[in-house]
Amino acid sequence: MDSSAWGLLAYGAWTTAWISGISIAIGVILGLFVALLRVARIPVVHQVLGTYISLARATPLVTLVLFIFLTAPTMGLDINRNVAGIIALTLNTTAFNAEIWRSAFNNFSNEQREAALAIGMTPWVYFRRIMLPQITITSLPGLVNEMSFLIKGSPAVAVIGVVDLARVTNRISAVTYEPLPPILAAAAMYMVLISLLVWLQRLAERKANRLAV
Amino acid sequence: MPETAAVSIRKLSKSFDGTEVLRDVSLEVKPGEVVSILGSSGSGKSTLLRCINWLEQPDRGDIHIDGDRIGVSDSGKAMSRRELASMRARLGMVFQGFNLWPHLSVVRNVTEAPIHVLGLSKAQAEERAMALLEKVGMVEKRDDYPYTLSGGQKQRVAIARALAMQPKVMLFDEPTSALDPELVGEVLGVIKDLSKEGYTMVLVTHEMEFARAVSDQVVFLDKGIIIEKSHPSEFFVNPKTDRVRRFLELEAPVV
Ligand SMILES: Nc1ncnc2c1ncn2[C@@H]1O[C@H](COP(=O)(O)OP(=O)(O)OP(=O)(O)O)[C@@H](O)[C@H]1O
Ligand SMILES: [Mg+2]
Repeated sequence: MDSSAWGLLAYGAWTTAWISGISIAIGVILGLFVALLRVARIPVVHQVLGTYISLARATPLVTLVLFIFLTAPTMGLDINRNVAGIIALTLNTTAFNAEIWRSAFNNFSNEQREAALAIGMTPWVYFRRIMLPQITITSLPGLVNEMSFLIKGSPAVAVIGVVDLARVTNRISAVTYEPLPPILAAAAMYMVLISLLVWLQRLAERKANRLAV
Repeated sequence: MPETAAVSIRKLSKSFDGTEVLRDVSLEVKPGEVVSILGSSGSGKSTLLRCINWLEQPDRGDIHIDGDRIGVSDSGKAMSRRELASMRARLGMVFQGFNLWPHLSVVRNVTEAPIHVLGLSKAQAEERAMALLEKVGMVEKRDDYPYTLSGGQKQRVAIARALAMQPKVMLFDEPTSALDPELVGEVLGVIKDLSKEGYTMVLVTHEMEFARAVSDQVVFLDKGIIIEKSHPSEFFVNPKTDRVRRFLELEAPVV
């Protein structure tokens, strides 16, 4: 592999990193809102979100990416490949994150809530000061796990022509006729991204364990 | 003008799933008074206490704290969350299971509500917290987390946390029932000090000796009805009903 091949690989890795990064960031926050709305059990909204979560979790990422990319123009939306990819990844990861947040909500102790209300906190202050800090820590291991699934699933955006880390290996081997070196190099780069997350996850788990005592 | 009652409960009734747990309960707690609520398990003691700060909503009757009605606003509608929160801030509650917030250190547990409910500055809240931790003997533990504390220590922190709001009335629901016997004394000691300082308190307890020593008024609940209400010297020595006599024989055998 020559330097231009390495340049392409770096470009692909960067594309994977930022497309996944944006989807993860939006997906974690949006997942929290979806979970909040579900916990509130507002009629209709509850059913709609439940259906969305079941659908998004059951649909393969490749299908979702294609669906967004092909239907957006028919709805008059002019979006490029990257945006379509980010929307699809976000829709997917939000659904999984919402379930992680929701289980943290449901397992949260009612005693702490009563202590907060009894002392004069409004439900909002209770949520922000007592509940959110704790469910963030207890949800982190699950959220980080989902982040690594998302990164590993992100090559799905290649079907609509986004040149990410997986796709770039095809391009290189098309020129060099040696598929193995770029694939190994790409695999190593995925491992770097994932091990960063795994390291984060260990930190989070250590904190979560301390809270659980 | 007659003195306004710290807590005034009038004809309170409450059912759970069609079973009446409190019936026509009326009770006045004067400022500075200590009232103990006694009764066997399931008689409605916790429910009565939890109605006072609206953790449970009664079906009928009303409750006034220092002259202001809780739960129902002047217009007759249910109070908004904000109104209810500010009424509850005037009541301190101590739970059987402590209910400390595990993500906050001892001193943060005590400063949390003064800062985020009363709007005190961090420095003001800390000053107040340290004075209270001193009072309950927990100053050295100020930066420790709840999971490192014994039950008795947790309960003393929980008392300091409630006191930090400078409540009009303190409510205790069996504050020593979850403690190992050797830790009961340290918590009862703190509550006794509060009674000497003139705090108004409503106390659910199974500690008969203690109730006798600190109470100005003892109330006995039987199946959701107050069947006896008297001064401890009367209640423990000369109960009016057989029900109470039997209860006392079981709970506090004569020595
Ligand atoms: N949230 C609830 N839902 C249904 N029933 C309840 C609820 N809370 C209390 N009860 C019932 O109401 C009755 C009175 O309960 P309460 O907790 O007030 O009794 P208690 O006098 O405090 O008893 P203990 O000494 O065991 O704490 C019991 O029969 C209990 O099962
Ligand atoms: Mg009880």
